[in-house]
Amino acid sequence: MTPLSCEVLVIGGGATGAGVAWDCALRGFDTVLVERRDLAEGTSGRFHGLLHSGARYAVKDVAAAEECIGENMVLREIAADSIEDSGGLFVTTPEDDPAYGDALVAGCGRVGIPIEEIPVAEALRREPRLNPGIQRAFAVPDAGIDAWKCVGALARGAQGHGARILRYHRVTGILRDGDRVVGAEVRDELRGEDVRIEAGFTLNASGAWAAQIAHMAGVEGVGVVPGKGIMIAMNHRLVNTVINRCTMPADGDILVPIRTVSVIGTTDVHMADPDDLPIPQDEVDQMLDDGERLVPGFRRARALRVWAGVRPLFSDAKEEVESRDVSRGHALLDHRTRDGIDGLLTITGGKWTTYRLMAEETVDAMCAQLGEERPCTTRTAKLPGSEDGSLYHLGARLKWKEGHLNDEQLVCECEIIPRGRLEDELRSRGTTNLDDIRRALRLGMGPCQGGFCIYRATGILHAVGRLSGPEANASLLGFLQERWKGVWPILYGDQLRQARLDDWIFQGVLGVQDLPGAHDPPPGRVAAGPQDADAHGEPGDEAARAKGAPSAAPGSADDEPTAAWDGVSS
Amino acid sequence: VNDAVVIGAGVAGLTAATRIAEAGGRVLVVAKGIGATHLAPGTIDVLGRVDGEPVERPLEALGRLGAGHPYARLPAGTLAAAAEWWRGRFADGPLAPYAYTGTVETSLPLPSPVGAVRRSALVPETMAAGDLRRGEPLCIVGLRPLRDFHAPYAADNLARQGYEARAKVLDLAPEPRPDVNSLGYARAFDDAAFRDRVVAELRGRLAPGESAGFPAVLGLRRPHAAWDDLERRLARRVFEIPTLPPSVPGMRVFATLRERLRRAGARVILNAIVTGAERTGDRVTGVRVKVAAREVVHRGDWIVLATGGFASGGLELDSTWVAREVALGLPVHGVPGRGEARFAPGYLDEQPMARAGIQVDDGLRPLGPDGARAAENVLVAGALLAGAEPWREGSGDGISLGTGFHAGGIVVGARSEAADMGNTSGSIEAIERSGARGAGA
Repeated sequence: MTPLSCEVLVIGGGATGAGVAWDCALRGFDTVLVERRDLAEGTSGRFHGLLHSGARYAVKDVAAAEECIGENMVLREIAADSIEDSGGLFVTTPEDDPAYGDALVAGCGRVGIPIEEIPVAEALRREPRLNPGIQRAFAVPDAGIDAWKCVGALARGAQGHGARILRYHRVTGILRDGDRVVGAEVRDELRGEDVRIEAGFTLNASGAWAAQIAHMAGVEGVGVVPGKGIMIAMNHRLVNTVINRCTMPADGDILVPIRTVSVIGTTDVHMADPDDLPIPQDEVDQMLDDGERLVPGFRRARALRVWAGVRPLFSDAKEEVESRDVSRGHALLDHRTRDGIDGLLTITGGKWTTYRLMAEETVDAMCAQLGEERPCTTRTAKLPGSEDGSLYHLGARLKWKEGHLNDEQLVCECEIIPRGRLEDELRSRGTTNLDDIRRALRLGMGPCQGGFCIYRATGILHAVGRLSGPEANASLLGFLQERWKGVWPILYGDQLRQARLDDWIFQGVLGVQDLPGAHDPPPGRVAAGPQDADAHGEPGDEAARAKGAPSAAPGSADDEPTAAWDGVSS
Repeated sequence: VNDAVVIGAGVAGLTAATRIAEAGGRVLVVAKGIGATHLAPGTIDVLGRVDGEPVERPLEALGRLGAGHPYARLPAGTLAAAAEWWRGRFADGPLAPYAYTGTVETSLPLPSPVGAVRRSALVPETMAAGDLRRGEPLCIVGLRPLRDFHAPYAADNLARQGYEARAKVLDLAPEPRPDVNSLGYARAFDDAAFRDRVVAELRGRLAPGESAGFPAVLGLRRPHAAWDDLERRLARRVFEIPTLPPSVPGMRVFATLRERLRRAGARVILNAIVTGAERTGDRVTGVRVKVAAREVVHRGDWIVLATGGFASGGLELDSTWVAREVALGLPVHGVPGRGEARFAPGYLDEQPMARAGIQVDDGLRPLGPDGARAAENVLVAGALLAGAEPWREGSGDGISLGTGFHAGGIVVGARSEAADMGNTSGSIEAIERSGARGAGA
């Protein structure tokens, strides 16, 4: 068993865990973060992309609303590169009570959320696809936040301050020394090894899985209710402003433009197991009908992908409650006072928008237990890629491409991903998993859902990642299966046509069903990274040439990778 | 009045149209756009696998497909006759001596762009030397700016299946661009000067006896010349491997059949959307066709519907899971009902929705839900037919060729019977009076 030691072990690689690791690293703690899969693969990457203004909670949960508006303003400064200032509208549909708008304005006023009622005609001018029957409209400072980009930046920032970010490291046990937690045993899923991590302090930031981790530490009764929500990404920006229904928060009442798509969400169903999240037909229909209320014709628009995420809803009460009524606020559990166990804090509940605040409170509490005076700096420390403070703009990649029309091969036209960027990502991340690459670069996330780019990416992965054929095949087939999972429950209309065209390519032209290993059990995460790839033989000379080849991406050798291509500063 | 209005310009529609036109029929082809030819690899695959098992002798395995499969609609001997006919279209076609080779009795195992084994019945001569049964060492030649073909990956997979294979990647492009697609290279390979550069790059880098596998971009206008030139100058077998779309071999198919149609006096209208049909009793007498903003009714004794399935837009499924056939509104068969699985969660599993389509009788007439003919003079061919999963079972374009050929034969047979009875204009009525139906055998 490989031993590791650190001052702080963070469990969980979502927004909260990555935020905690960034906070710890900035305060000078020697930090290790373990995540059982890819960063932001659990809850954080499975939301609609809404950076709340707080208006959604202004009537019902003033504390949550205050936190949201405060953090919204902070994140615009420190994580600008992940945020699109799309703005938000609350609209009163013909089915909604117009009086709620007055309560909304009053609530926002109480907590300082800027809100302005605008004429319906103005709202329809801004968003022509909106239901023309809306009765009232209110503008608020909602925004879009790119989960993967932001969590990736947090992790890179933490690494830049010495933290070790260990993806695909699953906690199998919590180490105890008497009444003290002293680290964890984790399974390195890529190398198939067990790792013992000794830590001065352990921070459980595993969200919906927090009770499972706490249980491993011998702590019972952590009340986390997994609240499942499904979301559907529509192929276009049906709206360019975040649209909220102007009612008490309910299902299917948010439509968020994020990157090239718009996401309708969501549902709220209590689940027993945060890892078992089915997508039933009636929930899909519910989302489509809800979308129809906001944007007439929604059902005829092209649905791209559906997924389910799971909220960690913290509840002290043991009886069943409507989970939307369970606190959206976060919970920081001090296991010393709660359970008599030292060296462990659990942070759970909360919202994406308040991840930073949750991290700050968590690390503050740890410092207090340790008797350390180390002030938090995350309120002002800018994340990598956001140094110049410019907000993300949807046209960034296109703008980049226009400056590089004739000097870069595009691997993915939908998301404008140049070959050099893909090669850099493969090298620097050491991943061979195309689904990880999807999250990092948005490879295969466009209308064709990887129909064209995934074969190309596999060929490049084979050469640059120095994979063997079967490893590349596993990555290709794993991607296709992962994609299919998010596609088949909403396959109709143009997306069905696209999917059949993709089948034509993958099955009819490439014959992937006849690849060596195609019918083996579902491929796990492919293991090989650059460090252990030398064992693999290569046919031909392309791979050999590619091994030492510098990236073709102009400017990428020295520049910070995301600034020129996916940010606005090019 | 046309003898036949053919809707769709993929392999099925072009085959039916060409067969009728070359037999002297007056044919109009209307299509929303260039058909699926430009997407498909340009091979005629009759049957690659049944129940997950690879099939080497497809004709013998057809019986295992079940009565609902489109092949079960074809009279014995149709596929062999269609293959013979297909080879003939190329042998004296506009791209001759570019030719097709192979038979429907035995499939050729050929490498795919990932190095999997695809089994095809009829293939362009330019692909035939990829026959993996030869056991010759292979060098797969890639072109770095062609992102739609990755030679080392294909070679690696071939090698792991026991074939001797390696790869060379050339950094050669007709013009200094980072991306050159298959069409750009095909045009370049038509040019002897570009081939000179390729030959110069490869000279001395290929082992004796090694076959050279290129992406299928070896010429668009003179593919035989390009391929033959490379074989002679490299002094070895040269073969093409399909690429991602656009498919150059598919373009050659389209160019060949379209030119044959032109020579036979048929008209082809692209960018034409069929918006509906005019009916008299159980016959469709004309189709309403919209080109640009204008709608025109085209009349035909026969309507051949070959618009393809969901992939081509011949079928549509809406968000309430109702499917429709878009051109004539024919009943769609095999759509899983509410509560039934439309798709399987495993990507490579059998997908129930994929088999939805138009069900036909042995005369290729569409059937209603009650099993009765939905129209007497409509013939359905190609991927629109219910009961097949062409890509999964490796029957892509085999079904299209077979049923398109059969549909063409039915029209040709009906015309000749009508002519025998001295009636060349009102041919349908003549057939009906004589009681003859589906004269395709």
